[in-house]
Amino acid sequence: MNTTVGSANYSYVTARVRSRRAALFDENDYRKLIRMGPGEIARFMEESEYETEMNALGSRYDGVDLIEYALNENLAKHFDDLLRFADGQLNEYIASYLRKFDAWNIKTIIRGVYTDSETQEIQDDLIRAGEFSDAMLDRLVESTSIDSVVEQLSKTLYGPALADAYEVYEETGVLVALENAVDRAFYSDMLGGFPREPSEGTAMYVQLLRAEIDFRNVRNALRLARSGAEIDPSEYFIPDGRLFDADQLRQLTQNPDQLTEYLRESTYGRDLSGALDELESADGLIDFERALEQALLEYADTMTNRFPLSICPVIAYIRAKEREVDNIRAIARGKQAGLSTDEIEEELVIV
Amino acid sequence: MIELQLTLAYISSIVMQAAEGAANQPMLTKEGAAAIGFGLSAIGAGMAERSIGSAAVGAIAEDDDMFVSGLILTVIPETIVIFGLVVVFII
Repeated sequence: MNTTVGSANYSYVTARVRSRRAALFDENDYRKLIRMGPGEIARFMEESEYETEMNALGSRYDGVDLIEYALNENLAKHFDDLLRFADGQLNEYIASYLRKFDAWNIKTIIRGVYTDSETQEIQDDLIRAGEFSDAMLDRLVESTSIDSVVEQLSKTLYGPALADAYEVYEETGVLVALENAVDRAFYSDMLGGFPREPSEGTAMYVQLLRAEIDFRNVRNALRLARSGAEIDPSEYFIPDGRLFDADQLRQLTQNPDQLTEYLRESTYGRDLSGALDELESADGLIDFERALEQALLEYADTMTNRFPLSICPVIAYIRAKEREVDNIRAIARGKQAGLSTDEIEEELVIV
Repeated sequence: MIELQLTLAYISSIVMQAAEGAANQPMLTKEGAAAIGFGLSAIGAGMAERSIGSAAVGAIAEDDDMFVSGLILTVIPETIVIFGLVVVFII
């Protein structure tokens, strides 16, 4: 593989990223964490990767809040690091992938405004790793109506899609349309920007993105199927995936048993056999989603091993890091709420 | 890539000079050919070390313990230069 495409420094970035990927918490660490109380978790984190953030924020917050702030801060720091390391085309890929946090932030803000949450509460849930500036996010958080959020975003790539969805929202009063619009705008912008016959590096990036879209489609379809709501799955459908078109997805939703079979025979089948076995034995929706998440992480890891000098290790790291933060948060919050060890374990996705 | 082009230009200039010289003399002396071989092997090693070196620096930046293995891996392509040098000695 050519490693000197443009000025992209694949070898440097992948070396750093793989080292960080290896330093993430492993199964043993989680096993220890699950047995700890919130105070002990905080102490454990002070002696780990999160030391700087825990110490910096320690004077202002305590308990589970401290853990949560430290996690978010650390996540943002690492993702900013990635942008700092990478040059050329690789930098563009990473920046475009990190825009997913913009989409996340928009959704969080819309939900927050919809439920009239406190400004501070919304702010806590934002992940400041995307492209939007802090000032812009702060302005968005302070909006009093969804109308003004949509208005403020009109100049961004989410503008047109949100404006259309806002009309639907006004008719139905359901947020789904808006959230979908954000997702769709995000993915179509990412995939739309690439040439028809992409270079090797771009092709790999597109492949990973399409896998992500496929899995998201499956998850949405399953949620709909289990909820039993009479909503057309194609309304949730994100185009450009490689596995399904809207019709196929609708059929599979009605028959969830066929879904694993379909996945097994698809292009992902060989990479995902382990995760699919788990998927088959999963009975609840939570189990199923967890297995899907795990399958997606595993897919990125498989791609990493197959193409060591490419965008794959970076994406695998971003996803794994996100998962780690989610896991620790789940443990800390679960402990705070007094959940049992087994219940918390069910929430974790460990790869 | 520019080094390679320069080398080629250099070779072709030598060849041309040789062609202008006496007709029964070889285009390139033995020593000259060995020198070109040696130079090319050094360029090859440089190209190989480029990405190994940047990966090694990345790994060392994350973890100081990687210094020794990083250094060793970085200089492994130097063996190519040694092979090139061997040619110089055996002609």
